[in-house]
Amino acid sequence: MHFFSQSFQYEHPWSHVIIGMWHKYPNSKCTHVVSVDTLDRSIDPVTGIIRTERVLGCKQKAPTWIVKLFGGSEDAFVREISFVDPATQNVTITSVNLSLSQFATCYEQIRYSPVSPNRTAFTQTAEVQARLALWRSAADRLEQWLVQRFEQNAQLGKSGFSDVLRNLWEERHQASP
Amino acid sequence: MSQSLSEECTPLKKEYDSCFNSWFEGYLEPAVEAGRAGQRTREANAQKKAEEFEAKCGKIWRQYKSCVTKALKDKGLDTLLEQARQENPLVDPIPPPTSSNSNN
Repeated sequence: MHFFSQSFQYEHPWSHVIIGMWHKYPNSKCTHVVSVDTLDRSIDPVTGIIRTERVLGCKQKAPTWIVKLFGGSEDAFVREISFVDPATQNVTITSVNLSLSQFATCYEQIRYSPVSPNRTAFTQTAEVQARLALWRSAADRLEQWLVQRFEQNAQLGKSGFSDVLRNLWEERHQASP
Repeated sequence: MSQSLSEECTPLKKEYDSCFNSWFEGYLEPAVEAGRAGQRTREANAQKKAEEFEAKCGKIWRQYKSCVTKALKDKGLDTLLEQARQENPLVDPIPPPTSSNSNN
């Protein structure tokens, strides 16, 4: 597992940052984010919390060894869930990769909270984890398959060579009585 | 404004996003104030604003959603998304960090 984290303060009021959040893309420094779609959105009638589920489409060239090993393509998609809680002035965002998720997960958490009327704290953490259980079971199955194939071939080798020896010596025996 | 993952849905997406953004800008600051005013005011405000959002953006939302649902299916993302939702429903906000009290 690998971790990443950073924190930062934006010199803007919390509400400005949160309104701006929906305008983050496109921007000239994040050209890898090419699409943003909202899939679900609800407003909790009791708490006033807005939950939004989005899918972000990214284009980023992967190293050839990754493409060869995992398939994959230039297009990668990320699922993002955000909660805007006006009452506590908190925004939390979780993102998880959809592409290549069978091999590894990248789990990102972001929080925006007010520090002062004109400052907003941003914290971001990410955990990247290969699916070890999957690797282990795939490796196990590969070993099993190799052992089975080896056993079959060993059986065939034994009986094939028995035939060769029998034929060879029977022929010689018949040729020179 | 960013594109949709399907070119076909981009016009609907842009119209929906504009609708949401203008509603949201009217929602956020009063909701912060209502949050300070206590639970009754907060609930009344949330209810009213949720209805207003439905009235303003409900129709375009349903058009956009049906377009994007089909696009996800065409790209084979629907099953990945379903798996992700099952594995991690994410129905509640991330709890505040334990070290500090964020209610100020």
